[in-house]
Parts: sequence; C-alpha cells; structure tokens
Amino acid sequence: MSWPQFVTVTLNGLTLAALYFIVAIGFTLIFGVLRVVNLAHGSLYLFGGYLGWSVADRTGSWVLGAVAALFVTALAGLLLQLGLLRRIHGQELREALVTIGVSIVAADLMLARWGGFTYDFSPPEVITGGLRIPLLDIGYPRYRLFVLAFAIALGLILWFVLARTRLGITVRAAIDDRDMVAAVGIDVQRLFALMFAVGAGLAGLAGVIGGSVLSISSGEDARYLLASLIVVIVGGMGSLPGTAVAAVLVALVEQYSLALFPTYAAIVSFLLMVVVLALRPQGLFGRPA
Amino acid sequence: MRKTRLLAALLLFLLLTFPLWGSAYFVGRIFTPALFFGIIALSLSLLAGYGGMVSLAQMTLAGLAGYGYGYLTITLGQPWWIGILAGLAVATLAALVFGLIAVRSTGIYFLMITVALGMVVYALANQNRSIFGGHTGILGIRAPELFGHSLVERTIFYYLCLAIGLTTYGFVRYLAGTPFGLALQALRDDPRRLSTLGYNVALHRVAAFTLSGFLAGIGGLLLVWYNGAISPTTIDLTRLINILVIAVIGGLAYAEGAFLGALVFVLVTNFASSFTQRFNTVIGLTFLAIVLFSPEGLSGIALRLWSLLRRTLLARLAPSRHTGL
Repeated sequence: MSWPQFVTVTLNGLTLAALYFIVAIGFTLIFGVLRVVNLAHGSLYLFGGYLGWSVADRTGSWVLGAVAALFVTALAGLLLQLGLLRRIHGQELREALVTIGVSIVAADLMLARWGGFTYDFSPPEVITGGLRIPLLDIGYPRYRLFVLAFAIALGLILWFVLARTRLGITVRAAIDDRDMVAAVGIDVQRLFALMFAVGAGLAGLAGVIGGSVLSISSGEDARYLLASLIVVIVGGMGSLPGTAVAAVLVALVEQYSLALFPTYAAIVSFLLMVVVLALRPQGLFGRPA
Repeated sequence: MRKTRLLAALLLFLLLTFPLWGSAYFVGRIFTPALFFGIIALSLSLLAGYGGMVSLAQMTLAGLAGYGYGYLTITLGQPWWIGILAGLAVATLAALVFGLIAVRSTGIYFLMITVALGMVVYALANQNRSIFGGHTGILGIRAPELFGHSLVERTIFYYLCLAIGLTTYGFVRYLAGTPFGLALQALRDDPRRLSTLGYNVALHRVAAFTLSGFLAGIGGLLLVWYNGAISPTTIDLTRLINILVIAVIGGLAYAEGAFLGALVFVLVTNFASSFTQRFNTVIGLTFLAIVLFSPEGLSGIALRLWSLLRRTLLARLAPSRHTGL
C-alpha cells in the first residue's frame, strides 16, 4: 500500500467507524438499560433512511429529512416499547423474538411503500464536495469528514449527559442494577420508554446520515444490524466507550482487509469477534455477566 | 396413551399413502419443502427445546452443507457420494466451530452471537468467488441418480424426505431419553447444579450444537437438491430468521412443532401470495401473535385442545370412569 492510499483507507475506516458508532450506540443504550436485544434496529435504520429521503424530497431540505427521521423513528421505538415489549418485560428471549417479528413485518411494509429502488440523498452544499488534504495532496469527500465530526460530537454529548446529568446518573445506575433503581423510587418504566425512544431515534437519524454516504435501499437493514451486533459484541454490551472503541476497531479492520485481501474481508471481522469472545466473553469494556 | 398412538398410526398411514391420493402440487410443492424445512427447524428444536439454546445460525449450517455438496460435485467434479459426505462434514465441522465460539454465552447473548456468525458466513459467501461463487453462488447442482432415476423426481423425493424426516424426528425423540439428552435438559434448567454434579456443561453444549449442525446439514442437502442451486440469498438474514419463525410457530420445545411449523409456513407463503403480495406481513404477524399470546406454539395449542377434547368426551361417554386412559 502506498502512503496516500494508506491515508485514504484509514480515513475511510475512521468515517465508517463514525457511522457504525452512530448506529450501534442506540443498540447499546437499549441493550444496556432494558436488556432488550433489538433485532429490529436495522429496520429502524432503514425506516429512518427512507422516511428522511421522502421528507427531504418533498421539502427540498436534507436537514428537515434528518430531523423527521430522528423524531418519527423515536416515536416508532416508543410505540414498540409501550405497545409490545412492556407487557413481556424481563423475558429477554421473548422480547428478542418480538423484535424479530416486528423486523419481518417492517421489512415487508417498507418494501411495499418504497420498493426495491435505491435512493440517493443530496446533503446541503456546505458539507458536500471534495476537500484537498494539505501535505499529502489527496482529495477526500467533505461529507465523510462531516460524519466523523458528527459522531465525535454525538459521542461527547452522550458522554456529558451520562457523566454529568441527573438523567445520565439514573441511566448508568439502571445499567448496573435495574431493580435497585426501581427500589429507590425512580419510575423505571418512564426511563425504559425514554431510552427506547432515544435509541430508536438515533438509528433513524443514522439512516439519513449513513444513507447519504452511499445510498439507501432494501437490504441495508441487515447490513447495519450486523455492524451493530459485531460492534456491541466486541465492545461489550451496554458500554459507551466500548462501543466507540469497537466501532473504530471493527471499521478499521474491515477497511484494511478490504484493501488488502478483498474476498476474505468477512473472515477478518469474524476472527476479530472470535478472538475477543475467546479472551473476554463479555466484550472489551463489558462487565462479566 | 393408546389413543395418541392410534392417531400417530393414522397420521403415518396418511403420510405414506399421500402421493396416491394427494395432488401433485401438494406432494411436490407443499409437503416436500415442509419436510426438509422441518428437518432444518428440527435441528433448532433440539437445541432450544432440550438445550435451551436458541440459535439463528441453523440455516447457515444447512446452507454450508449445500455449498459443500455443490463445490465438490460441480466445481471439483466429484461423484455425488463424496459431495454428500463433504456437505455433512462441512456443516458438522462449522457447527463445532460455532459451538466452541458461542458456548460460553447463553440466552440472548447466544442468539446475538449465532446471528452474527450466520451473517458473517453470508458476507463471506457473497464476497468469495473461488469457493462460494460470489453473488451468483453455485448453479446447476444435481441430485444423485440411482438406477436411472434422479432422486428429485416428485414421488421419489417426497418419500426420501419423508423417510429422512421420520428418522431424524425419531432420533430427536429418542435422544430425549438418553443420558446425553437428559443431561441437556438438566443443563437447560439449571446449568450450575449440573456442573456441581460433575458434568462438563460446555462440552455438552458444544456436542449438542455439533449434532444440530449435522441434522441441519441433512436438511440443507435436501434443500439444495430441490433448488438445484445455492447462492448467498439462501442464507441471508431473512432465511435465517425463517427457520426460527418455523420452529416458534410450530412450538419451539416440540420436535413435532418443527414439521407442523414448516407446513404452516410453506402453506402461508404459497397461498397467501395468491391473494396478497404482503404474505411476509402475514407471516410476521402470525409469528408475533404466537410469541405474544401462545409461546408454546401451535403444538401447545393442539395439545391443549386435544386434552380438553378428551376430557369432555370422557365426561360425556363414561361419567363413572374418570381414571381410564
């Protein structure tokens, strides 16, 4: 690999990591607080992408599309939690099965509404176009750097909320010991509903942001569900720093192996997961179950 | 118990004579697929019902058997029996590896790891051209030919699937009573107590998973003969989930449930598609209803109805004899 090529691949890896982080963080939050493996997370990503595209297409505003995707998928997540999951709370496997059922129905209904076409976004001009990186003299799409910056900002905001606010303290306490949080008189059902809405909303927002990197089409739900799963398994379930580190690790490994030996790239992600599971079954930053 | 046995004998008789009176469409397009999907789902019932391990990688294991058969017979031009051996070996070995990786996790963690493993294999099959044939997969796969007849001729294939289905079903039922099967069930209910008794919990889990890989591989060979080709689509996320849907609709804890669920699944996909395009929504909603309202699946409902019926009949016919049967 030549030097400029190396830099490009690294940048690709980092921006992909940013995207993985935005998708997987919602999955992590929901898992950490509610112990729900939301296998409909990919569907929420796809739904957000489609919806954002439709809104952006009608209004001509990409930002409005992203905002709509955030709020509508948050609402969808809220309905999923209050309507279906709340009544079987605590039965982890059954909750996972319910999210699978929802993902089947959602995939089919989205196929009916948006068809098998590929949709391209057009983000505002400020964040599109190319950027020449000084010294190395290589061009790089500005939008991908925006995704990277956005993910870092999102991570910092989440970190601040979790570390410094009352809500964050409650959430962290709930990740550690839900029963105790309920016992000290905090309305955990409200907390659960809120976390599900936030996690789902982030998945929907990621649909617009990730869809603008390439495009959005049916099948993307599976791809980003897999990314979320691997990132969360590697990073440790329910850990914010774990998700960030694992997103970088998984994305870099994926991009380097795609550049070096394209036909076996999947094996490398697989090996990464296997090695982590063999050495630390709870993930890099996870606590032993 | 005698009535149950009578019912089973009647069912067996109907299944054996089915090609004589059933329509060709039902024999070839409904019951045959239901049987081989049932075998793949049975491998999940074995894991989930006895071992308490819900795996989403069963279709992957079945697909790997198909890929093994296709690679050996088409790409390398070997005879069919080598293909069969290789296919089963690949599925069993992959299950052993998957088992070693996933065995330390339980419950939803196990579910997550198996789905991730399945999707990694899908990604590999999609990217790799030399062995998996990339996006196209392996085409033109032929079933073995015996005495001038291809095994996928409609009636022959039905009986083949039926024979294998009954054998695997009998095997899984038999397994429940063996020391290994009992240890598995104990492990599902209380792994800690079992390990205190000196059982190697991890070893039992890996063995069960490997065995389920072999079963799924058998189903996978039948599937690939039926389709005549294999591609990454056969093992994509939707197909992985379908096997779980089949097992759950039928009743995850029942070996019969695998076949019952497969029959319902094939019927719905075939007939719902004639009056609505949204048959996946129908399947998804059925699945949701079962998970939410009747976790025992159709087998559970059937068993409850059967015992209710028997009790009412008994009460009607012989009010003085409550203890019969």
